[in-house]
This record gives sequence, C-alpha cells and structure tokens, in this order.
Amino acid sequence: MDPNRSAVPIREISNRISLVFMLTLAAALLLLGRAETYVFDRARQVVTDLAAPLLEIASRPVAAARHVVERTDEYAYVFDENERLRAENARLLAWKEAALKLESKVARYEALLNVQIDPDIKYVSGRVVSDNGGPFVDTVIVNVGSTQGAKSGDAVVDTDGLVGRIVATGDKASRILLLTDLNSRIPVVIEPAHYKAVLAGDNTDWPKLEYLAVTGSVSPGDRVVTSGDGGLIPPGLPVGLVIQTSDGFLRVQTFADRDRLDFVRVLKYEFPSNIQRQDPPAVLLGPPAQPKPVEQVKPAATIPGAPKPATPPAAEAGTRPVKPAAQPSKKPTTAAAKPAPQTPAAQPQAAPTVQPGQMQPVPDVEDATPGTEDTPGVE
Amino acid sequence: MARLDPYTPTPAARAGRIVMTVLPFVMGLVCVLLSFVPVGRVFGTSVMPAFALMAIYYWAIVRPEMFPVYAVFLVGLVSDLLSGGPIGLWAFAYVLTYIIVLTQRFLIVNAPFSVFWLGFLVAAAFVGVIGWAAASLFYGMLLPARPIVWHLFVTVALFPLFAMIFGRIERRILPSG
Repeated sequence: MDPNRSAVPIREISNRISLVFMLTLAAALLLLGRAETYVFDRARQVVTDLAAPLLEIASRPVAAARHVVERTDEYAYVFDENERLRAENARLLAWKEAALKLESKVARYEALLNVQIDPDIKYVSGRVVSDNGGPFVDTVIVNVGSTQGAKSGDAVVDTDGLVGRIVATGDKASRILLLTDLNSRIPVVIEPAHYKAVLAGDNTDWPKLEYLAVTGSVSPGDRVVTSGDGGLIPPGLPVGLVIQTSDGFLRVQTFADRDRLDFVRVLKYEFPSNIQRQDPPAVLLGPPAQPKPVEQVKPAATIPGAPKPATPPAAEAGTRPVKPAAQPSKKPTTAAAKPAPQTPAAQPQAAPTVQPGQMQPVPDVEDATPGTEDTPGVE
Repeated sequence: MARLDPYTPTPAARAGRIVMTVLPFVMGLVCVLLSFVPVGRVFGTSVMPAFALMAIYYWAIVRPEMFPVYAVFLVGLVSDLLSGGPIGLWAFAYVLTYIIVLTQRFLIVNAPFSVFWLGFLVAAAFVGVIGWAAASLFYGMLLPARPIVWHLFVTVALFPLFAMIFGRIERRILPSG
C-alpha cells in the first residue's frame, strides 16, 4: 500500500525519470540476483510465508473443484475402471506372493550378510498450495515449514514417487524444486543394470539423464530410482521410467505428475552416519531351521566371496554337520566358492565349541562393519 | 490530499476515493496471487495465465495515473519473489512493457475492443520475448520456449474475460470516468 500512496501524486506519466529509474532498478535487481545473496533468499521466504496462508485458502476451493471433476470422471468410467482393477488385482496377488517370498529371503540374506538396514525415515505430510512459478521455473509451495521440521534438501514424494526436493523453507511454508526444473539434479540409478546417472531437469516435461556411463545398456522402460549418493535423498525412491525421445536421447518420464500434485510427503531423512553396531552372531543363530538345509547352505557358499568369511561359515558349520563337503562341491565353478571349502574345513573343530558364545569377539565385529559397506559394491 | 481533488470533488467521498485509487494496485497484487493458485490443476494442467500482465496492460491503457510505474514494479517484484525464479525478471519485463504500452497508448485508448485485444497480444508477445531473453541470459542457456508460449497463449485467450471484470470495477470506482 505504502509505496502506492507515495506513487499516487505522480500523475504525469510522462515523468520519464521515474520510468527509467524503475527500469534500471529492475535490471539491477536481475543482475544482483545472479549473486544469490542472503537478502534475496530471505525476502523470498518472507513473501512465501506471507502468501502461503492466502494461497492455502484459495487452493481449497480449487481442490474441491478438482475433486468434483475427478469424481465425475470416475463415474463416467466406473465400469471400465472396475474391470481394469479386477485384472490388476489378480496380477498383484501373484506379485504379492512373490514379494512375500522375496521379502523373507532378503531378510535372511541380510541377516546372514550383516547388512546395515536403513533406518526408518520420518516424514511430514503437507499440501501443495501453489502452482509452479511461471514458465521459467518449476517450483511449488507446500504448506510445511521449518516449524514442522522441514529443511532445505529434504526429498519430497507423493503416492507415485519422487516429486523433488525442498530448496527453501520459511516458518510455515517451503518451496519444492520439482524434478523438471532447470536447476534440479538428482543422483539416480537405472535399475536392472544398476547404472548410475544424474537426473537433470531442463524445464521440459522429461528430465535428462546426465553422466550416464554406458548409454547402450539402458533401454526405454527401465526403472529409475534414487541412488542415495550424496546422502541428501534416501536411496531407492521411485523416480520414473526411461523413455527415448524422437531425437534419440534418453529421458525420464517421472512417476509423479507435476500437473496433479496435491498431498505430498516431506521425508526427514538423516544420512545414516552414526549408527550402532549390529551384532551378527545373534542373528546367525537363526537359520538352524531344518526344513530346507540346502537353501541355507547356498548363502554360505556365496558369503566367503565377501571380504569377511570367518563369521558365516563358522556358524554355518555349526548348523549343518551333515554334509559339509557336499555343498562346496556344488559350486566349484564360481570364483567365490574357492575359499569356501577351506573355511568350513578349517572350522568344524572349533565351531561346535565356540558356537553358543561370542566366537566373533571385537575384531571380527569391527571387520564386519566395513564388510557390510563393501557387500553392495561387490554384488 | 489536495492532489486528489480532481478525482474527489466532494469532501465526503475523499476517504473512499483514496481506497478506490489504490484499488487497481491491490488488484494487481491479487492478480499475482491468483496466478499462483493452482486453478489449472482442476483441468489437469499447470499452465497458468499471467493475470498480472492483464491488470498492468488494462490499467496502463485505461487509467495509467491509477497504476503508476512503481505499482508495476512492485507487482513484478512480488511475482518474482513468489515464483522462486530470478529476482527482477518479471519486474523488468513488466516495467519495460508498461513503458512501451504507454508510448503506444494513443493508438488503442479510444479504439474498439478488438484493437485493445490485439494490442494485448502484441504486449504479451513482447513480454514473452523480453522474459525469455532475460531468463536465458540469466541461466546462460537457451531455455525451451514452449512453456512461455503456452503461458502467454492462455493469457491472451482469457484476456477478454478479465478486461470485462476490470471494466466493471473501473466503472464502479469511477462512474464519471
């Protein structure tokens, strides 16, 4: 208001000095803004914080209207949708079985390999209250601020996948830099082949894949997830699918639809830098279950390939006294299997006696910690 | 106060007049806010029109004394701060366009609405070119032009509707004018 009141007396628009002055001021701001000074960032946050409640109020009816439109749409296609969901449900049930099997298997392998389990990630949910910031930027405002624990760098996901990350926080609102923005760079992994790349937005609908070492091994349809490199964004968040544009470049179709953002989740991820040690022996006592002795041995054959062969074979030796020689002979071709025959052969005498207690005292546990970091790299 | 006399012949209406006088500027700010409300999501798009540009153009042609260059600058600046983009980008583009529009005002001011609309098309194209060039320089690369073209296309398409609304407000504020 105030500036306008001072402007009211200037009725003669031919006052060229003020025109030129304002133009110069705007140009100067543009140049100064390039330096990204603290003042500008602060001003942005203040304005965003002030506008967020207004935007939130204004976005309520919009959300309601959208809901109505979507519901109408749903009614129109309710029959088709039902059919589709039935088919999908049948398919997913099969997947569920597979997933459950894999889950237990992975849990057992993780226990055997003493893998460092990622800590649970806390999150806070919020609603996107603004549209993206015009044609040159792809940012939105979410009504979660530093008071709720959001901080710059936090990853933001919705039900479909990664949306972006927070670049500025005020007290009540934060700004999310979407994956498609020119300034967005997210370390990702392209899944089946596990190639690393950087997902770089360029203000188009499909972000690019940069620093991709082997382009030939990545094909359209491959799944892209976050790699967690840099420690800012948790690994394994779904990002999108690789697509090939008409000009032959590989880009990514993100799972999250930036035109339909509504409720999002701000992940308060802490890089697991300070974690307590896990104690492998306690876990390794688990596998004595009899039903499938053969399957239990398989990991034992692979484990010696890992840097620290002492722990698992010892425990394994305790659990399967039946045929220690038969199993190693099962996999004679792999390079990893070579140390296997030696270690079980060396240990059987010692194992039964030490087995219940702490047969892997301090040095072994210390050895295990770097081992767990290495194993993902080894595989 | 004395300067407001031409607008306010009766002292009783003065207080109201002052409010009315700043109304275009307030509307400019409302327009900025409005352009960040995710209305487009209702239709599954994130393309939003530049409401602020409509307000600036309308008042620059119809009543420039009620929408001075300071107001244009502030509207642009708030737009910049809210968008999270380069600060000063829209302020610069809007002020420059405002100045150009003022110089060409005599062509449009008493012309039929189609000319008014055509003028807006030219102004929007000008803003687009200025904004795109400034942003490209700012980021040091050629930005894709498609988003800005869509943005301004929607803006121009919706202009008649908003011109009508602004016209109503203007007649309400200034029945004499």
